[in-house]
Amino acid sequence: MKNYFKKMSGGGQRPPKVTLYEILWSWAGAFLGIAPVAWLNYSLLQGTDFVYIIGSFGASAVLIYGAVRSPLAQPRNLLGGHLLSALVGVATYQLFHPYPWFAAAFSVATAIALMHATQTLHPPGGATALIAVIGSDKIHDLGFWYLVFPVGIGVLIMLVVALIVNTLAKKRKYPEFWF
Amino acid sequence: MNQFNECFQTLTDEDVFEAMKRIPGYVDITPSDFLDIYKIAFDHALSRIRSAVLASHVMTPKVVSVTEDEPVLEAVKKMGKYNISGLPVLDSQNRIVGVISEKDFLTRMNEKQAPSFMQVLQQCLETSGCLMVSFKSLKIGDIMSSPPVTIARDATLAEVAGTLDRLSINRLPVCDESSILVGIIARSDIVQVMC
Repeated sequence: MKNYFKKMSGGGQRPPKVTLYEILWSWAGAFLGIAPVAWLNYSLLQGTDFVYIIGSFGASAVLIYGAVRSPLAQPRNLLGGHLLSALVGVATYQLFHPYPWFAAAFSVATAIALMHATQTLHPPGGATALIAVIGSDKIHDLGFWYLVFPVGIGVLIMLVVALIVNTLAKKRKYPEFWF
Repeated sequence: MNQFNECFQTLTDEDVFEAMKRIPGYVDITPSDFLDIYKIAFDHALSRIRSAVLASHVMTPKVVSVTEDEPVLEAVKKMGKYNISGLPVLDSQNRIVGVISEKDFLTRMNEKQAPSFMQVLQQCLETSGCLMVSFKSLKIGDIMSSPPVTIARDATLAEVAGTLDRLSINRLPVCDESSILVGIIARSDIVQVMC
């Protein structure tokens, strides 16, 4: 029992703070990455039945523009994590939508397990799976098209921007690996 | 060997923290996670080196040796000339049959078991003379240590170091399958490999 609570005490050290240089490049990357996706959603294709932006893109932006060295931010994880989680989310909604609390929990848990098993762990994937379950009717009506719009297209655009921006930054290198 | 291991593992959280500060970008790992990985990686590297390096890699292939039927003086001359404290002894077919070292001479010069140089000197000074004279008629085979401790060519560095340490000896002749001498490993050769 004592050990149980002792484990919660931490004891380690937090990593160092990044430089202003890093902060500015993270800001620029995130702005340039989210902008085209949001513009697609609100300007170019407004009024159509499609959704082009979902909340989990904000989470991906933290990783691919803010923590570019992280294994979680690499292309394999970004693409694989979102697509597999989207698949899990849509399938879960269609199977279990009469029990929303169960479907919500099941989708996130299964998405994490599947991402681990396929070495594509990407935290925003959990949000992508959850959104497929708890999202608007517009999202539910997409069915498996959810994997293409908004998830596939959005993630691809953000990946291209990450490649361009992180390669421009002298002290950054992205990706560490592709697949 | 374990002490060696630990002394190289005394990286602190602070060391890692300073290193992380020098790496541009956000490093997605805590200093203590890095230390955990480092310790395991270090042990892995050490065991890889210990088993990858063989006796044949560290040995000196050109060995100064003597034969068992030569007079003792021959061993004395060679040990003096090359400034070494011991020699492997071979038979006529180049097989190793023993080792002759300063220890064997000292033992012959004193009644005590394994005396030191000072104990021998003490006896020489206290009594009328030394027992040196008796050496003249002896052959190397008469005073060498036999059977010799040897090691195979494909023994790992860990086995070599373990044998030197366990038997408190300073050199280890290396033999092939038919006891033919192919090299020798001194304690100092091990130190050179490690550094």
